[in-house]
Amino acid sequence: MSPILFWIFVAVMLFFGGMVVLNRSPVGSALSLVVSFLALAALYVSLDAYFIGVIQILVYAGAVMVLFLFIIMLLDLRAESRRRVNFPAVCGGFVVIILFIKVLSEVCYSFEGGNAKFPPISQGPQGDVWHVGMILFQQYNVPLQVVGTLILVASIGVVILSKRVLK
Amino acid sequence: MTFPPIFFELFVLALGILILLLETFFEKRDRKMFAVVGIVGLAVVFLFLQASGPGASGMASYVVDPPAIFFKKLSVLTTIVVLIMSIDYADTIKRFLPADSPQAGLGEFFALPVLTCAGMMWMSSAIDFILIFVSLELVTISFYVLVAYMRRNASSLEAGVKYLILSALATGFTVYGITWIYGVTRQTNLVQISQVLPSISVDNQPGVLFGALLVLIGLGFKIAAAPFQFWVPDVYQGAPTPITAFLSVGSKSVGFIVLLRVVQAFQSLPAVGDKLITAVILLAVATLLYGNLAALPQTNFKRLLAYSSIGHAGYLLMAVAGISAKDSGQAVVVYLAAYLLMTLLSFLVLVIVSNHGGGDEIVQFNGLSKRSPFLAFALLVAMMSLAGVPLTAGFLGKFMVFKVALETRQFLLIALAIITVGCGFYFYLKVVRAMYWQPAPANVAAIPVSKLSLAAIIIMVLLIFVLGIFPQVALGLLPG
Repeated sequence: MSPILFWIFVAVMLFFGGMVVLNRSPVGSALSLVVSFLALAALYVSLDAYFIGVIQILVYAGAVMVLFLFIIMLLDLRAESRRRVNFPAVCGGFVVIILFIKVLSEVCYSFEGGNAKFPPISQGPQGDVWHVGMILFQQYNVPLQVVGTLILVASIGVVILSKRVLK
Repeated sequence: MTFPPIFFELFVLALGILILLLETFFEKRDRKMFAVVGIVGLAVVFLFLQASGPGASGMASYVVDPPAIFFKKLSVLTTIVVLIMSIDYADTIKRFLPADSPQAGLGEFFALPVLTCAGMMWMSSAIDFILIFVSLELVTISFYVLVAYMRRNASSLEAGVKYLILSALATGFTVYGITWIYGVTRQTNLVQISQVLPSISVDNQPGVLFGALLVLIGLGFKIAAAPFQFWVPDVYQGAPTPITAFLSVGSKSVGFIVLLRVVQAFQSLPAVGDKLITAVILLAVATLLYGNLAALPQTNFKRLLAYSSIGHAGYLLMAVAGISAKDSGQAVVVYLAAYLLMTLLSFLVLVIVSNHGGGDEIVQFNGLSKRSPFLAFALLVAMMSLAGVPLTAGFLGKFMVFKVALETRQFLLIALAIITVGCGFYFYLKVVRAMYWQPAPANVAAIPVSKLSLAAIIIMVLLIFVLGIFPQVALGLLPG
């Protein structure tokens, strides 16, 4: 992927990441987070990690965020009221950010393993979903079946414990 | 006829689903029949298990060794007795369910223990942390539902919430511990972990020890060892009585097989293994003291059995602490077999008596010897065995545990255990005193016992004596 696209997606991701914090309405924040996740998924795809990219969209942008929105609407959260800016707190926040970036950069540059070149990933003809599937259904087949049973038990339990009147 | 060993779990699973489906097709039938279907199905599984021997499983995460088969049989037997109890208890369940038809919710109450049994069977064979974890969760999550099953009973709900929160915390500890162990050894398989451990660097040993201790905390919760026993008295008292029996026998015994396997895996590196054993000894001391001393003032029979369950976990931990001795595994197995018989027998009698007295207090048992000499005798045998009187199964179990402790020279632990056995005599015989020396309340009728319960009680009483009087027969049947 060309560097231009990389910067575009990074900009989108950071902008909407900021909007999550700055937006006053909880629904707006949650939707901004969805867009941020989508841009992150695009970055994964640009690194040839198609599977993680798809999972990022399906699980995070799909399931988790819908759950968030559902709870926000269920609780009927209103927009936050405007608060006065606390000047010392803002200054303190910036000091912490600067110190953190300083520590991070020092650690990053002093970590020698970070400069190592990675060997190219061997790309099989089947793609990564195929590999995940093979591991899941061969090596971890029994645990997968047990998880299936677990979900069955959990769904029975939900019905039994939450249905208003049992028939 | 032999099956691949994994088929036993799948058969039990299919049986559970069958019971769920039966409800759809036979809506009008008496749903207690579904429990009978479960009992018959599990009995068939038990016979096949009895006929099958240890062998290769063809999977790295799943073993079929003699202990695995023994614990599978133990899970199946426990579930059978729990289903028998559930039939007697069904009327109480119905009273506390918000239902618009008289039998609503009973089918699931009989199906869930069968599904839990499948989870316990998987756990008995698991030697990979991933399989251990998912099957442990299957068992735990079914218990969340079962404990809180009587929705309109406040104490059942309270028990459910307590169990949910504390159990989730314990699960968190277990997973965190597993990640530490994986981080250092890069393995989740116990066999491979024990091969890799001797070659890890000294710097990494604290990491492994930390992980192993966290796993020990998580398992300590499952087996109700002090100081992770907070939940036990309230949950045991609030849960439906058959489920209390299931928790106290089933959940505890599969916890012990996993504990044995984990502690054994870490013995390949003495620097970590020895410290782990020390931790187990400390747990055993705390558990013995807490379980037996706190049981002394109890007046509620269910609560008494809860503390007794903690106390017995202490004796079992003594056997685990002596894992270097040859007979350690056998001592755990014999003790659990005896514990299964006497605990289930007590709960079975408790269900029948409280159905006709209306409560779980020890006072309910006053003069039981006059009202129902048979039940009183059965409970007498159970109490004697729990206390560890010679010629009963409980004595054999304690004998084996003390032998292991003696071989590994844990003299302090033995001294302490002897004192706590003395305490045990006091509180178990309190129940016997109520049955035989207290006058019965006026105008109470004799207590009817269903045929199924009668058969189960007679078999368990006989087995307690067989284990106690002819231990060589029993030891021949049990795995080494």
